[in-house]
Amino acid sequence: MIDGLVRILLFQGIGEVVAHFLVPLVPGPVIGLVLLLAFLAWRGKVPEGVELVSSAFMRYLGVLFVPAAVGVVMYWPHLQRQALAIAVALVVSVLATIAVSALVAKLLARGKSDAA
Amino acid sequence: MRPDLPNIHEIWVYLSGSPLLALILTLAAYQVGVMIYERTQLNPLANPVLIAVTLIALSITALDMPYATYFEGAQFVHFLLGTATVSLAVPIYQALPSLRGRVLPLVAALIGGGVTSIVSAVAIARFFGADESIVGAMVVKSITAPIGMGVAERIGASPTLTAVFAVTTGILGAALARFVLDALRCREWWQRGFAIGIASHGIGTSRAFSVNPEAGTYAGLAMGLHGVLGAVAIPWAVALLR
Repeated sequence: MIDGLVRILLFQGIGEVVAHFLVPLVPGPVIGLVLLLAFLAWRGKVPEGVELVSSAFMRYLGVLFVPAAVGVVMYWPHLQRQALAIAVALVVSVLATIAVSALVAKLLARGKSDAA
Repeated sequence: MRPDLPNIHEIWVYLSGSPLLALILTLAAYQVGVMIYERTQLNPLANPVLIAVTLIALSITALDMPYATYFEGAQFVHFLLGTATVSLAVPIYQALPSLRGRVLPLVAALIGGGVTSIVSAVAIARFFGADESIVGAMVVKSITAPIGMGVAERIGASPTLTAVFAVTTGILGAALARFVLDALRCREWWQRGFAIGIASHGIGTSRAFSVNPEAGTYAGLAMGLHGVLGAVAIPWAVALLR
C-alpha cells in the first residue's frame, strides 16, 4: 500500500512542479493525473499498491471535501442574503446537467447500436 | 492533598490549540454520517458529507472556534484531495478497454453536460440578482473541488465559495440523480454513472460506487475528464469573454 502511495505522491509532486514552472493555467494534480495515466498505459497494468490506494480514495472521496465545505460558516451571512438565487441556480443546474449528460449519452449510444 | 490537576478550561485550551481536535471532529462527524447513510439503506438524502458538514458547522459555531483554526487541523484531510485527484487516473485507465464504441456518446455527453452546468447556473444566478462573487464561483462548481478551487483562483473567483458550491452540487446531484435518471428511463449503469460524475463530481462518484461498481468507475472517469477539460477550457473561455 505504501509503495502505491509513494508512486501517487510522486506523480502529484511532478505535476505540481510542471504546473508551477511550465503550465500555470492547469492545476498540478490534473497534470499528475495525466502523467499517471500515461505511466499506467506504458506499464500496461495497474500496480497492486496503486490500485489499493486509488480504490480507498474513491470509496472515501466524500470525507476529503468536508474541510473545504465547512467554509460555508464563513460565508453564511453573505449566502443567506442571496439564498434564493443560489438555491435555484444550484438545484436547476445540477438537474439540467444530469439530464443533458444522460440524454446525450443515451441517444448517441442507441443510434450506434441501431446502426450495428 | 491532591496534586494540582489542570481544570477543564486548561485542558480545553490545550486541545483546541492542537490540530488533533479538528481532525477528530472531521473524521468522527463523517463516521456519524456514514452510519446514518447505512442505517437508512443508502438513502441518497442522508448524504454523509452533508451530515458531516452540518455537524461540524454547528460544533465549531457552538465552540466559538474560528474557521481558520478548524482548517488548520482539518487541512491534513483537505490536502489529500490533490492526491485523490491524481489517483483518478486508475478508474480512467481501468475504464479504457470498455470504452470501445462508447467514446462518441461519452465525449458528447461530457461537453453537453459541462456547458449546461455552467450556462444554467450562471444564467439563473444572474437572473435572480446574485452578485459577481457568487456568479464567479458558479462557473466552476461542477468540476471536482481540488481542480475547481485551482481554476477559481486563476479566473479570480473565491476558492472557498467554489468549494462550498461544488460540495452542495455534489450532495444535490448524489441525492437527486436517481429520480432524474429514472424519469428519463436511463438504465445503463455506465450512462447513469457518467451523468452523475459530470454533474456532481466526487460526492456523486462516492455515491455511484456505493450503488454499483460500473457506475462508480464511469462516474470517476467523467469526473476526471470533466476536471481536466474544465481546467483547460474554463480559464481560456473566461479570458475570451472578458
